[in-house]
Amino acid sequence: MPRAETDMIDPASAPDAALITARALTKRFGTFTAVDGIDFEVRRGEAFGFLGPNGAGKSSTMRMIGCVAPVTSGRLSILGMDPATQGPQIRARLGVVPQQDTLDTELRVRENLYIYGRYFGMRRAELTAKVDELLEFAQLSDRAKSKVEPLSGGMKRRLTIARSLINDPEILLLDEPTTGLDPQARHVLWDRLYRLKQSGVTLVLTTHYMDEAEQLCDRLVVMDGGRIVAEGSPFSLIADHSTREVAELRFGPTHNGEAARRLASVITGERERVEELPDRVLLYVHDGEDALRRSHEIGLSPISSLVRRSTLEDVFLRLTGRSLID
Amino acid sequence: MTAAAPRPRSSSWHVVEYNLAAARSFWTSMLVVGVATPMLYVLALGVGLGRVVDRHGTGQLGVPYLVFVAPAFLTAAALQIAAGDGSFPVMAGFKWQRFFFGMAATPLTSVQICVGHMLWVTLRAFVNSALYLAVLAAFGGARTWTVLLAVPAATLTGIAFAAPVMAVAASVNSESGIFNVLFRFVVTPMFLFSGTFYPISTLPEWGRWLAYVSPLWHGTELARDSAIGGLSGPAVLGHVAYLLLWLVVGAVLAMWRFRVRLTK
Repeated sequence: MPRAETDMIDPASAPDAALITARALTKRFGTFTAVDGIDFEVRRGEAFGFLGPNGAGKSSTMRMIGCVAPVTSGRLSILGMDPATQGPQIRARLGVVPQQDTLDTELRVRENLYIYGRYFGMRRAELTAKVDELLEFAQLSDRAKSKVEPLSGGMKRRLTIARSLINDPEILLLDEPTTGLDPQARHVLWDRLYRLKQSGVTLVLTTHYMDEAEQLCDRLVVMDGGRIVAEGSPFSLIADHSTREVAELRFGPTHNGEAARRLASVITGERERVEELPDRVLLYVHDGEDALRRSHEIGLSPISSLVRRSTLEDVFLRLTGRSLID
Repeated sequence: MTAAAPRPRSSSWHVVEYNLAAARSFWTSMLVVGVATPMLYVLALGVGLGRVVDRHGTGQLGVPYLVFVAPAFLTAAALQIAAGDGSFPVMAGFKWQRFFFGMAATPLTSVQICVGHMLWVTLRAFVNSALYLAVLAAFGGARTWTVLLAVPAATLTGIAFAAPVMAVAASVNSESGIFNVLFRFVVTPMFLFSGTFYPISTLPEWGRWLAYVSPLWHGTELARDSAIGGLSGPAVLGHVAYLLLWLVVGAVLAMWRFRVRLTK
Protein backbone atom coordinates (compact mmCIF):
# COMPACT_ATOMS: atom_id res chain seq x y z
CA MET A 1 0.00 0.00 0.00
CA PRO A 2 1.36 3.44 -0.85
CA ARG A 3 0.83 4.71 2.67
CA ALA A 4 2.65 8.01 2.24
CA GLU A 5 0.26 9.02 -0.50
CA THR A 6 -2.89 8.35 1.54
CA ASP A 7 -1.38 10.06 4.55
CA MET A 8 -0.94 13.38 2.80
CA ILE A 9 -4.26 13.87 1.08
CA ASP A 10 -7.77 13.56 2.40
CA PRO A 11 -9.90 13.45 -0.72
CA ALA A 12 -13.12 13.54 1.29
CA SER A 13 -12.46 17.00 2.66
CA ALA A 14 -12.23 18.81 -0.67
CA PRO A 15 -15.52 20.01 -2.18
CA ASP A 16 -16.80 17.93 -5.08
CA ALA A 17 -14.07 15.41 -4.31
CA ALA A 18 -14.21 11.65 -4.55
CA LEU A 19 -15.67 9.87 -1.53
CA ILE A 20 -14.53 6.53 -2.88
CA THR A 21 -11.42 6.04 -4.97
CA ALA A 22 -10.33 2.69 -6.38
CA ARG A 23 -7.09 2.12 -8.27
CA ALA A 24 -6.26 -1.28 -9.77
CA LEU A 25 -8.68 -2.73 -7.22
CA THR A 26 -8.48 -6.53 -7.27
CA LYS A 27 -10.28 -9.32 -5.43
CA ARG A 28 -9.23 -12.95 -5.75
CA PHE A 29 -10.69 -16.06 -4.16
CA GLY A 30 -7.92 -18.63 -4.48
CA THR A 31 -7.15 -18.75 -8.19
CA PHE A 32 -10.44 -17.14 -9.22
CA THR A 33 -10.25 -13.42 -9.92
CA ALA A 34 -13.61 -11.84 -9.10
CA VAL A 35 -12.52 -8.22 -9.55
CA ASP A 36 -9.67 -7.67 -11.96
CA GLY A 37 -7.89 -4.37 -11.39
CA ILE A 38 -10.68 -1.79 -11.72
CA ASP A 39 -10.44 2.01 -11.36
CA PHE A 40 -13.34 4.26 -10.42
CA GLU A 41 -14.29 7.25 -8.35
CA VAL A 42 -17.54 8.08 -6.63
CA ARG A 43 -18.15 11.76 -5.89
CA ARG A 44 -20.15 13.26 -3.06
CA GLY A 45 -23.89 13.46 -3.71
CA GLU A 46 -24.01 11.40 -6.88
CA ALA A 47 -25.77 8.12 -7.57
CA PHE A 48 -23.24 5.69 -8.94
CA GLY A 49 -24.18 2.33 -10.41
CA PHE A 50 -22.42 -0.95 -11.11
CA LEU A 51 -24.12 -2.79 -13.95
CA GLY A 52 -23.24 -6.25 -15.10
CA PRO A 53 -24.40 -9.82 -15.51
CA ASN A 54 -24.20 -12.30 -12.62
CA GLY A 55 -20.60 -13.06 -11.74
CA ALA A 56 -19.29 -9.78 -13.17
CA GLY A 57 -17.73 -8.83 -9.82
CA LYS A 58 -20.32 -6.25 -8.68
CA SER A 59 -21.06 -7.80 -5.30
CA SER A 60 -17.39 -8.44 -4.54
CA THR A 61 -16.69 -4.79 -5.28
CA MET A 62 -19.57 -3.74 -3.02
CA ARG A 63 -18.30 -5.96 -0.22
CA MET A 64 -14.86 -4.38 -0.46
CA ILE A 65 -16.42 -0.90 -0.31
CA GLY A 66 -18.51 -2.07 2.65
CA CYS A 67 -15.26 -3.04 4.42
CA VAL A 68 -16.35 -6.63 4.96
CA ALA A 69 -14.16 -8.20 2.29
CA PRO A 70 -10.42 -7.51 2.36
CA VAL A 71 -8.85 -6.04 -0.78
CA THR A 72 -6.48 -8.53 -2.47
CA SER A 73 -4.41 -5.85 -4.20
CA GLY A 74 -4.68 -2.31 -5.49
CA ARG A 75 -5.79 0.75 -3.59
CA LEU A 76 -9.17 1.55 -2.13
CA SER A 77 -9.91 4.71 -0.19
CA ILE A 78 -13.30 5.40 1.36
CA LEU A 79 -14.05 8.76 3.00
CA GLY A 80 -10.30 9.32 2.99
CA MET A 81 -9.67 6.19 5.04
CA ASP A 82 -8.11 2.80 4.38
CA PRO A 83 -10.54 -0.12 4.83
CA ALA A 84 -7.70 -2.42 5.88
CA THR A 85 -6.96 -0.44 9.02
CA GLN A 86 -10.05 1.69 9.63
CA GLY A 87 -12.91 -0.66 8.77
CA PRO A 88 -15.02 0.12 11.87
CA GLN A 89 -14.58 3.89 11.42
CA ILE A 90 -15.61 3.67 7.76
CA ARG A 91 -18.55 1.35 8.46
CA ALA A 92 -19.77 3.83 11.07
CA ARG A 93 -20.46 6.24 8.20
CA LEU A 94 -21.87 3.76 5.66
CA GLY A 95 -25.35 2.34 5.18
CA VAL A 96 -25.62 -1.12 3.67
CA VAL A 97 -28.60 -2.70 1.93
CA PRO A 98 -27.45 -6.24 1.17
CA GLN A 99 -28.70 -8.35 -1.70
CA GLN A 100 -30.27 -10.81 0.74
CA ASP A 101 -32.22 -9.32 3.64
CA THR A 102 -30.53 -9.87 7.01
CA LEU A 103 -33.45 -8.63 9.09
CA ASP A 104 -33.88 -10.10 12.55
CA THR A 105 -37.03 -12.15 12.28
CA GLU A 106 -37.01 -12.72 16.05
CA LEU A 107 -37.50 -8.98 16.54
CA ARG A 108 -40.43 -6.68 15.81
CA VAL A 109 -40.20 -4.04 13.10
CA ARG A 110 -39.35 -1.20 15.50
CA GLU A 111 -36.84 -3.32 17.44
CA ASN A 112 -35.01 -4.12 14.21
CA LEU A 113 -34.22 -0.43 13.81
CA TYR A 114 -33.52 0.18 17.48
CA ILE A 115 -31.15 -2.75 18.00
CA TYR A 116 -29.35 -1.98 14.74
CA GLY A 117 -28.75 1.57 15.95
CA ARG A 118 -27.24 0.16 19.11
CA TYR A 119 -24.67 -1.70 16.97
CA PHE A 120 -23.45 1.76 15.94
CA GLY A 121 -23.10 2.70 19.60
CA MET A 122 -26.00 5.16 19.37
CA ARG A 123 -27.66 6.20 22.61
CA ARG A 124 -31.18 5.15 23.55
CA ALA A 125 -32.50 8.71 23.67
CA GLU A 126 -31.28 9.70 20.20
CA LEU A 127 -32.52 6.40 18.76
CA THR A 128 -36.12 6.77 19.88
CA ALA A 129 -36.70 9.84 17.70
CA LYS A 130 -34.62 8.47 14.82
CA VAL A 131 -36.57 5.20 14.72
CA ASP A 132 -39.91 7.03 14.46
CA GLU A 133 -38.58 9.24 11.70
CA LEU A 134 -37.33 6.24 9.70
CA LEU A 135 -40.54 4.27 10.16
CA GLU A 136 -42.34 7.28 8.71
CA PHE A 137 -39.86 7.50 5.82
CA ALA A 138 -40.25 3.79 5.04
CA GLN A 139 -44.06 4.04 5.32
CA LEU A 140 -44.03 1.43 8.06
CA SER A 141 -45.27 3.50 11.03
CA ASP A 142 -48.45 1.46 11.38
CA ARG A 143 -46.39 -1.75 11.32
CA ALA A 144 -43.99 -0.70 14.07
CA LYS A 145 -45.09 -3.42 16.48
CA SER A 146 -45.63 -6.11 13.87
CA LYS A 147 -43.41 -9.13 13.43
CA VAL A 148 -41.03 -9.13 10.48
CA GLU A 149 -41.94 -12.51 9.01
CA PRO A 150 -45.46 -11.69 7.69
CA LEU A 151 -44.32 -8.45 5.97
CA SER A 152 -44.43 -8.36 2.16
CA GLY A 153 -41.21 -8.40 0.16
CA GLY A 154 -41.50 -4.66 -0.52
CA MET A 155 -42.06 -3.87 3.16
CA LYS A 156 -39.07 -5.97 4.21
CA ARG A 157 -36.95 -4.18 1.65
CA ARG A 158 -38.13 -0.78 2.92
CA LEU A 159 -37.37 -1.88 6.46
CA THR A 160 -33.88 -2.93 5.37
CA ILE A 161 -33.37 0.48 3.77
CA ALA A 162 -34.71 2.25 6.88
CA ARG A 163 -32.34 0.16 8.99
CA SER A 164 -29.38 1.09 6.78
CA LEU A 165 -30.16 4.78 7.40
CA ILE A 166 -30.17 4.56 11.20
CA ASN A 167 -26.67 6.10 11.48
CA ASP A 168 -27.33 8.92 8.96
CA PRO A 169 -24.81 7.41 6.52
CA GLU A 170 -22.89 9.57 4.08
CA ILE A 171 -22.75 6.73 1.58
CA LEU A 172 -25.53 4.22 1.04
CA LEU A 173 -24.54 0.91 -0.58
CA LEU A 174 -27.42 -0.92 -2.27
CA ASP A 175 -26.81 -4.39 -3.71
CA GLU A 176 -29.65 -5.13 -6.16
CA PRO A 177 -32.16 -3.16 -4.09
CA THR A 178 -35.33 -4.07 -5.99
CA THR A 179 -34.66 -7.61 -7.20
CA GLY A 180 -37.74 -9.75 -6.67
CA LEU A 181 -40.18 -6.91 -6.02
CA ASP A 182 -43.38 -6.17 -7.90
CA PRO A 183 -43.57 -2.97 -10.03
CA GLN A 184 -45.51 -1.01 -7.38
CA ALA A 185 -42.99 -1.83 -4.68
CA ARG A 186 -40.10 -0.96 -7.00
CA HIS A 187 -41.53 2.46 -7.79
CA VAL A 188 -42.08 3.22 -4.10
CA LEU A 189 -38.47 2.26 -3.42
CA TRP A 190 -37.14 4.34 -6.29
CA ASP A 191 -39.07 7.31 -4.93
CA ARG A 192 -37.53 6.84 -1.47
CA LEU A 193 -34.03 6.47 -2.93
CA TYR A 194 -34.53 9.57 -5.05
CA ARG A 195 -35.47 11.54 -1.93
CA LEU A 196 -32.34 10.31 -0.18
CA LYS A 197 -30.25 11.46 -3.08
CA GLN A 198 -31.96 14.87 -2.97
CA SER A 199 -31.04 15.13 0.70
CA GLY A 200 -27.38 14.68 -0.18
CA VAL A 201 -26.77 10.99 0.48
CA THR A 202 -24.31 9.44 -1.97
CA LEU A 203 -25.80 6.27 -3.47
CA VAL A 204 -23.74 3.37 -4.77
CA LEU A 205 -25.81 0.57 -6.21
CA THR A 206 -25.60 -2.57 -8.25
CA THR A 207 -28.40 -3.71 -10.46
CA HIS A 208 -29.13 -5.72 -13.54
CA TYR A 209 -32.31 -3.83 -14.19
CA MET A 210 -31.59 -1.29 -16.89
CA ASP A 211 -34.67 0.79 -16.10
CA GLU A 212 -33.46 1.03 -12.50
CA ALA A 213 -30.06 2.21 -13.64
CA GLU A 214 -31.65 4.80 -15.95
CA GLN A 215 -33.99 5.97 -13.18
CA LEU A 216 -31.46 6.29 -10.42
CA CYS A 217 -27.89 6.59 -11.66
CA ASP A 218 -26.10 9.79 -12.58
CA ARG A 219 -23.12 7.77 -13.61
CA LEU A 220 -22.48 4.09 -14.00
CA VAL A 221 -19.92 1.53 -15.01
CA VAL A 222 -20.66 -1.68 -16.86
CA MET A 223 -18.71 -4.65 -15.50
CA ASP A 224 -18.04 -7.94 -17.22
CA GLY A 225 -15.71 -10.70 -16.11
CA GLY A 226 -14.31 -8.62 -13.26
CA ARG A 227 -13.41 -5.65 -15.45
CA ILE A 228 -15.02 -2.32 -16.24
CA VAL A 229 -15.97 -2.34 -19.91
CA ALA A 230 -17.72 1.05 -20.14
CA GLU A 231 -18.32 4.09 -18.01
CA GLY A 232 -20.52 7.18 -18.26
CA SER A 233 -23.99 8.59 -17.70
CA PRO A 234 -26.90 6.47 -18.97
CA PHE A 235 -27.35 8.98 -21.79
CA SER A 236 -23.70 9.08 -22.82
CA LEU A 237 -23.40 5.29 -22.70
CA ILE A 238 -26.29 5.01 -25.15
CA ALA A 239 -24.75 7.69 -27.34
CA ASP A 240 -21.33 6.01 -27.27
CA HIS A 241 -22.28 2.37 -27.60
CA SER A 242 -25.58 2.23 -29.43
CA THR A 243 -27.56 4.12 -32.05
CA ARG A 244 -30.41 6.53 -31.49
CA GLU A 245 -33.11 4.08 -32.51
CA VAL A 246 -33.70 0.36 -32.95
CA ALA A 247 -36.05 -1.20 -35.49
CA GLU A 248 -37.25 -4.68 -34.61
CA LEU A 249 -38.46 -6.72 -37.57
CA ARG A 250 -40.03 -10.19 -37.51
CA PHE A 251 -40.02 -12.32 -40.64
CA GLY A 252 -40.91 -15.68 -39.09
CA PRO A 253 -38.31 -18.08 -37.70
CA THR A 254 -37.19 -19.55 -41.03
CA HIS A 255 -36.81 -16.26 -42.87
CA ASN A 256 -34.92 -14.11 -40.33
CA GLY A 257 -31.49 -15.26 -41.48
CA GLU A 258 -31.99 -14.43 -45.14
CA ALA A 259 -33.69 -11.12 -44.29
CA ALA A 260 -30.80 -10.14 -42.05
CA ARG A 261 -28.30 -10.68 -44.88
CA ARG A 262 -30.34 -8.58 -47.29
CA LEU A 263 -30.84 -5.84 -44.67
CA ALA A 264 -27.08 -5.25 -44.55
CA SER A 265 -27.55 -2.91 -47.53
CA VAL A 266 -29.95 -0.73 -45.52
CA ILE A 267 -27.23 0.02 -42.97
CA THR A 268 -25.17 3.06 -43.84
CA GLY A 269 -24.28 5.23 -40.86
CA GLU A 270 -21.59 5.02 -38.24
CA ARG A 271 -22.19 2.32 -35.58
CA GLU A 272 -25.31 1.21 -37.42
CA ARG A 273 -25.60 -2.57 -37.56
CA VAL A 274 -27.87 -5.57 -38.07
CA GLU A 275 -28.31 -8.21 -35.40
CA GLU A 276 -30.02 -11.49 -36.13
CA LEU A 277 -31.86 -13.18 -33.27
CA PRO A 278 -33.80 -16.46 -33.41
CA ASP A 279 -37.16 -14.66 -33.39
CA ARG A 280 -36.40 -11.28 -34.95
CA VAL A 281 -33.89 -9.01 -36.69
CA LEU A 282 -32.71 -5.83 -34.99
CA LEU A 283 -31.58 -2.79 -36.94
CA TYR A 284 -29.50 -0.41 -34.87
CA VAL A 285 -29.93 2.83 -36.81
CA HIS A 286 -30.20 6.58 -36.40
CA ASP A 287 -33.67 6.75 -37.94
CA GLY A 288 -35.82 3.68 -37.46
CA GLU A 289 -38.76 4.70 -39.68
CA ASP A 290 -36.38 5.50 -42.51
CA ALA A 291 -34.70 2.09 -42.17
CA LEU A 292 -38.12 0.46 -42.25
CA ARG A 293 -39.04 2.33 -45.41
CA ARG A 294 -35.78 1.27 -47.08
CA SER A 295 -36.30 -2.36 -46.11
CA HIS A 296 -39.65 -2.23 -47.93
CA GLU A 297 -37.86 -0.70 -50.92
CA ILE A 298 -35.57 -3.74 -51.23
CA GLY A 299 -38.64 -5.94 -51.23
CA LEU A 300 -38.75 -7.16 -47.64
CA SER A 301 -42.09 -7.33 -45.89
CA PRO A 302 -41.81 -8.20 -42.21
CA ILE A 303 -44.75 -9.85 -40.43
CA SER A 304 -44.48 -7.20 -37.75
CA SER A 305 -42.22 -4.27 -37.06
CA LEU A 306 -41.56 -1.85 -34.24
CA VAL A 307 -39.35 1.20 -33.91
CA ARG A 308 -38.10 2.25 -30.49
CA ARG A 309 -35.44 4.35 -28.81
CA SER A 310 -32.17 2.69 -27.86
CA THR A 311 -32.04 1.83 -24.19
CA LEU A 312 -29.35 0.98 -21.71
CA GLU A 313 -30.35 -2.64 -22.23
CA ASP A 314 -29.09 -2.45 -25.82
CA VAL A 315 -25.78 -1.07 -24.55
CA PHE A 316 -25.60 -3.73 -21.86
CA LEU A 317 -26.25 -6.62 -24.24
CA ARG A 318 -23.85 -5.16 -26.77
CA LEU A 319 -21.08 -4.95 -24.17
CA THR A 320 -21.65 -8.11 -22.17
CA GLY A 321 -23.09 -10.40 -24.84
CA ARG A 322 -26.37 -12.26 -25.13
CA SER A 323 -25.23 -15.67 -23.94
CA LEU A 324 -26.47 -16.83 -20.56
CA ILE A 325 -24.07 -16.52 -17.67
CA ASP A 326 -24.96 -18.94 -14.90
CA MET B 1 -3.66 10.53 9.00
CA THR B 2 -5.88 13.53 8.46
CA ALA B 3 -9.12 11.59 8.83
CA ALA B 4 -8.40 10.48 12.37
CA ALA B 5 -11.91 9.30 13.13
CA PRO B 6 -12.43 8.10 16.69
CA ARG B 7 -13.16 4.45 17.16
CA PRO B 8 -16.92 3.92 17.23
CA ARG B 9 -18.58 3.15 20.56
CA SER B 10 -19.85 -0.22 19.37
CA SER B 11 -19.07 -3.11 21.68
CA SER B 12 -19.73 -6.79 22.29
CA TRP B 13 -22.37 -5.79 24.80
CA HIS B 14 -24.61 -4.67 21.92
CA VAL B 15 -24.65 -8.27 20.65
CA VAL B 16 -25.89 -9.32 24.09
CA GLU B 17 -28.57 -6.64 23.85
CA TYR B 18 -29.72 -8.15 20.56
CA ASN B 19 -30.01 -11.56 22.18
CA LEU B 20 -31.91 -10.15 25.14
CA ALA B 21 -34.38 -8.48 22.78
CA ALA B 22 -34.68 -11.59 20.61
CA ALA B 23 -35.24 -13.77 23.69
CA ARG B 24 -38.01 -11.53 25.04
CA SER B 25 -40.69 -13.57 23.34
CA PHE B 26 -39.58 -16.75 25.08
CA TRP B 27 -38.39 -15.43 28.41
CA THR B 28 -41.32 -17.11 30.13
CA SER B 29 -40.56 -20.48 28.60
CA MET B 30 -36.88 -20.02 29.49
CA LEU B 31 -37.83 -19.43 33.12
CA VAL B 32 -40.25 -22.35 33.20
CA VAL B 33 -37.64 -24.69 31.70
CA GLY B 34 -35.00 -23.26 34.02
CA VAL B 35 -37.10 -24.06 37.08
CA ALA B 36 -38.98 -27.18 35.96
CA THR B 37 -35.93 -29.12 34.74
CA PRO B 38 -34.10 -29.10 38.06
CA MET B 39 -37.34 -29.92 39.88
CA LEU B 40 -37.87 -33.01 37.74
CA TYR B 41 -34.29 -34.17 38.21
CA VAL B 42 -34.27 -33.50 41.92
CA LEU B 43 -37.55 -35.35 42.40
CA ALA B 44 -36.72 -38.34 40.21
CA LEU B 45 -33.07 -38.89 41.03
CA GLY B 46 -32.39 -37.01 44.21
CA VAL B 47 -35.51 -37.95 46.09
CA GLY B 48 -36.52 -41.19 44.29
CA LEU B 49 -33.20 -42.83 43.56
CA GLY B 50 -31.67 -41.04 46.54
CA ARG B 51 -33.93 -42.99 48.94
CA VAL B 52 -32.65 -46.28 47.54
CA VAL B 53 -29.03 -45.21 47.68
CA ASP B 54 -29.27 -43.68 51.13
CA ARG B 55 -31.00 -46.82 52.50
CA HIS B 56 -27.89 -48.80 51.57
CA GLY B 57 -25.80 -46.41 53.57
CA THR B 58 -24.12 -43.22 52.38
CA GLY B 59 -20.76 -44.15 53.83
CA GLN B 60 -19.04 -44.08 50.48
CA LEU B 61 -20.45 -40.67 49.53
CA GLY B 62 -20.41 -39.13 52.99
CA VAL B 63 -23.53 -37.06 52.26
CA PRO B 64 -27.14 -37.76 51.26
CA TYR B 65 -27.39 -38.72 47.59
CA LEU B 66 -29.36 -35.57 46.73
CA VAL B 67 -26.54 -33.38 48.02
CA PHE B 68 -24.11 -35.50 46.00
CA VAL B 69 -25.93 -35.39 42.62
CA ALA B 70 -27.50 -31.92 42.79
CA PRO B 71 -24.37 -29.86 42.01
CA ALA B 72 -23.54 -32.28 39.18
CA PHE B 73 -26.98 -31.77 37.62
CA LEU B 74 -26.58 -28.05 37.97
CA THR B 75 -23.25 -28.17 36.10
CA ALA B 76 -24.52 -30.55 33.44
CA ALA B 77 -27.53 -28.30 32.85
CA ALA B 78 -25.27 -25.27 32.39
CA LEU B 79 -23.18 -27.21 29.88
CA GLN B 80 -26.23 -28.37 27.93
CA ILE B 81 -27.77 -24.89 27.82
CA ALA B 82 -24.46 -23.40 26.70
CA ALA B 83 -23.89 -26.09 24.06
CA GLY B 84 -27.40 -25.46 22.75
CA ASP B 85 -26.89 -21.71 22.54
CA GLY B 86 -23.44 -22.15 21.03
CA SER B 87 -24.75 -24.31 18.20
CA PHE B 88 -28.18 -23.59 16.71
CA PRO B 89 -28.29 -19.80 17.19
CA VAL B 90 -24.81 -19.51 15.64
CA MET B 91 -25.99 -21.54 12.67
CA ALA B 92 -29.03 -19.25 12.44
CA GLY B 93 -26.82 -16.18 12.51
CA PHE B 94 -24.74 -17.38 9.58
CA LYS B 95 -27.21 -19.43 7.61
CA TRP B 96 -30.89 -19.21 8.43
CA GLN B 97 -31.46 -15.60 9.47
CA ARG B 98 -27.99 -14.28 8.68
CA PHE B 99 -28.10 -11.67 11.45
CA PHE B 100 -24.32 -11.91 11.97
CA PHE B 101 -23.88 -10.48 8.46
CA GLY B 102 -26.15 -7.59 9.39
CA MET B 103 -23.96 -6.92 12.43
CA ALA B 104 -20.78 -7.19 10.35
CA ALA B 105 -21.95 -4.29 8.16
CA THR B 106 -21.90 -2.01 11.22
CA PRO B 107 -18.80 -0.85 13.10
CA LEU B 108 -18.89 -4.13 15.04
CA THR B 109 -15.87 -6.33 14.24
CA SER B 110 -16.00 -10.09 13.79
CA VAL B 111 -14.19 -10.47 17.13
CA GLN B 112 -16.75 -8.28 18.90
CA ILE B 113 -19.59 -10.28 17.34
CA CYS B 114 -18.02 -13.58 18.43
CA VAL B 115 -17.20 -12.35 21.93
CA GLY B 116 -20.67 -10.82 22.22
CA HIS B 117 -22.28 -14.17 21.50
CA MET B 118 -19.98 -15.82 24.05
CA LEU B 119 -21.04 -13.25 26.64
CA TRP B 120 -24.65 -14.08 25.91
CA VAL B 121 -24.00 -17.82 26.31
CA THR B 122 -22.18 -17.09 29.56
CA LEU B 123 -25.08 -15.00 30.82
CA ARG B 124 -27.56 -17.76 29.97
CA ALA B 125 -25.46 -20.41 31.74
CA PHE B 126 -25.13 -18.13 34.76
CA VAL B 127 -28.84 -17.32 35.07
CA ASN B 128 -29.80 -20.95 34.56
CA SER B 129 -27.32 -22.10 37.23
CA ALA B 130 -28.59 -19.52 39.71
CA LEU B 131 -32.19 -20.68 39.15
CA TYR B 132 -31.09 -24.27 39.52
CA LEU B 133 -29.40 -23.52 42.80
CA ALA B 134 -32.49 -21.74 44.09
CA VAL B 135 -34.62 -24.82 43.35
CA LEU B 136 -32.05 -27.13 44.95
CA ALA B 137 -31.92 -25.00 48.06
CA ALA B 138 -35.71 -25.20 48.27
CA PHE B 139 -35.50 -29.01 48.26
CA GLY B 140 -32.74 -29.22 50.82
CA GLY B 141 -29.94 -29.81 48.32
CA ALA B 142 -27.78 -26.95 49.61
CA ARG B 143 -25.95 -27.32 52.91
CA THR B 144 -23.19 -24.72 53.08
CA TRP B 145 -22.82 -21.19 51.83
CA THR B 146 -19.89 -22.26 49.60
CA VAL B 147 -22.49 -23.94 47.38
CA LEU B 148 -22.87 -20.48 45.83
CA LEU B 149 -19.52 -21.14 44.12
CA ALA B 150 -21.20 -23.91 42.15
CA VAL B 151 -22.83 -21.19 40.04
CA PRO B 152 -19.60 -19.64 38.68
CA ALA B 153 -18.09 -23.14 38.38
CA ALA B 154 -21.01 -24.32 36.24
CA THR B 155 -20.98 -21.09 34.21
CA LEU B 156 -17.28 -21.54 33.44
CA THR B 157 -17.91 -25.17 32.45
CA GLY B 158 -20.70 -24.09 30.13
CA ILE B 159 -18.79 -21.43 28.23
CA ALA B 160 -15.60 -23.55 28.15
CA PHE B 161 -17.50 -26.22 26.25
CA ALA B 162 -19.63 -23.81 24.19
CA ALA B 163 -16.63 -21.90 22.78
CA PRO B 164 -15.32 -24.77 20.61
CA VAL B 165 -18.93 -25.67 19.74
CA MET B 166 -19.32 -22.12 18.40
CA ALA B 167 -16.19 -22.60 16.31
CA VAL B 168 -17.73 -25.73 14.75
CA ALA B 169 -21.13 -24.06 14.23
CA ALA B 170 -19.43 -21.14 12.48
CA SER B 171 -17.58 -23.53 10.15
CA VAL B 172 -20.34 -25.78 8.86
CA ASN B 173 -22.50 -24.78 5.95
CA SER B 174 -25.38 -27.18 6.41
CA GLU B 175 -26.67 -28.65 9.61
CA SER B 176 -26.59 -32.23 8.21
CA GLY B 177 -26.75 -33.91 11.59
CA ILE B 178 -23.57 -32.44 13.03
CA PHE B 179 -25.40 -31.12 16.08
CA ASN B 180 -27.19 -34.46 16.54
CA VAL B 181 -23.81 -36.14 16.66
CA LEU B 182 -22.59 -33.48 19.08
CA PHE B 183 -25.49 -33.96 21.49
CA ARG B 184 -25.88 -37.72 21.21
CA PHE B 185 -22.26 -38.80 21.08
CA VAL B 186 -20.50 -36.04 23.02
CA VAL B 187 -22.84 -34.21 25.39
CA THR B 188 -24.88 -37.20 26.56
CA PRO B 189 -21.93 -39.61 27.13
CA MET B 190 -20.14 -36.80 28.92
CA PHE B 191 -23.16 -36.49 31.21
CA LEU B 192 -23.07 -40.24 31.91
CA PHE B 193 -19.32 -40.65 32.43
CA SER B 194 -18.28 -37.45 34.23
CA GLY B 195 -19.03 -38.52 37.76
CA THR B 196 -22.53 -37.10 37.66
CA PHE B 197 -24.31 -40.06 39.28
CA TYR B 198 -21.38 -41.81 41.00
CA PRO B 199 -17.77 -41.00 41.92
CA ILE B 200 -15.49 -41.85 39.02
CA SER B 201 -13.34 -43.90 41.41
CA THR B 202 -15.86 -46.69 40.79
CA LEU B 203 -14.97 -46.70 37.06
CA PRO B 204 -12.20 -48.85 35.53
CA GLU B 205 -9.11 -46.93 34.52
CA TRP B 206 -10.20 -46.23 30.91
CA GLY B 207 -13.46 -44.80 32.22
CA ARG B 208 -11.61 -42.53 34.60
CA TRP B 209 -9.55 -41.17 31.72
CA LEU B 210 -12.75 -40.39 29.83
CA ALA B 211 -13.75 -38.30 32.81
CA TYR B 212 -10.39 -36.57 33.13
CA VAL B 213 -10.61 -35.44 29.51
CA SER B 214 -14.21 -34.27 29.83
CA PRO B 215 -14.60 -30.63 30.87
CA LEU B 216 -17.85 -31.61 32.56
CA TRP B 217 -16.03 -33.80 35.13
CA HIS B 218 -13.78 -30.89 36.12
CA GLY B 219 -16.77 -28.59 36.43
CA THR B 220 -18.74 -31.21 38.38
CA GLU B 221 -15.85 -31.71 40.81
CA LEU B 222 -15.65 -27.96 41.40
CA ALA B 223 -19.40 -27.64 41.94
CA ARG B 224 -19.62 -30.73 44.12
CA ASP B 225 -16.70 -29.72 46.29
CA SER B 226 -18.32 -26.31 46.70
CA ALA B 227 -21.59 -27.93 47.76
CA ILE B 228 -20.12 -30.52 50.11
CA GLY B 229 -17.42 -28.22 51.44
CA GLY B 230 -14.35 -30.14 50.28
CA LEU B 231 -12.61 -27.45 48.24
CA SER B 232 -8.86 -27.87 48.15
CA GLY B 233 -6.51 -25.33 46.61
CA PRO B 234 -4.45 -27.49 44.21
CA ALA B 235 -7.51 -29.42 42.95
CA VAL B 236 -9.44 -26.20 42.35
CA LEU B 237 -6.50 -24.70 40.47
CA GLY B 238 -6.17 -27.82 38.34
CA HIS B 239 -9.85 -27.95 37.42
CA VAL B 240 -10.07 -24.22 36.71
CA ALA B 241 -6.88 -24.31 34.64
CA TYR B 242 -8.21 -27.20 32.53
CA LEU B 243 -11.53 -25.43 31.94
CA LEU B 244 -9.73 -22.19 31.07
CA LEU B 245 -7.64 -24.11 28.55
CA TRP B 246 -10.84 -25.27 26.83
CA LEU B 247 -12.22 -21.74 26.96
CA VAL B 248 -9.12 -20.04 25.56
CA VAL B 249 -8.48 -22.56 22.78
CA GLY B 250 -12.19 -22.64 21.93
CA ALA B 251 -12.48 -18.85 21.93
CA VAL B 252 -9.46 -18.42 19.66
CA LEU B 253 -10.86 -21.01 17.24
CA ALA B 254 -14.32 -19.42 17.33
CA MET B 255 -12.97 -15.91 16.69
CA TRP B 256 -10.95 -17.26 13.78
CA ARG B 257 -13.96 -19.05 12.25
CA PHE B 258 -16.19 -15.98 12.74
CA ARG B 259 -13.61 -13.80 10.99
CA VAL B 260 -13.25 -16.22 8.07
CA ARG B 261 -17.02 -16.44 7.67
CA LEU B 262 -17.77 -12.74 8.01
CA THR B 263 -14.88 -11.21 6.03
CA LYS B 264 -14.47 -13.14 2.79
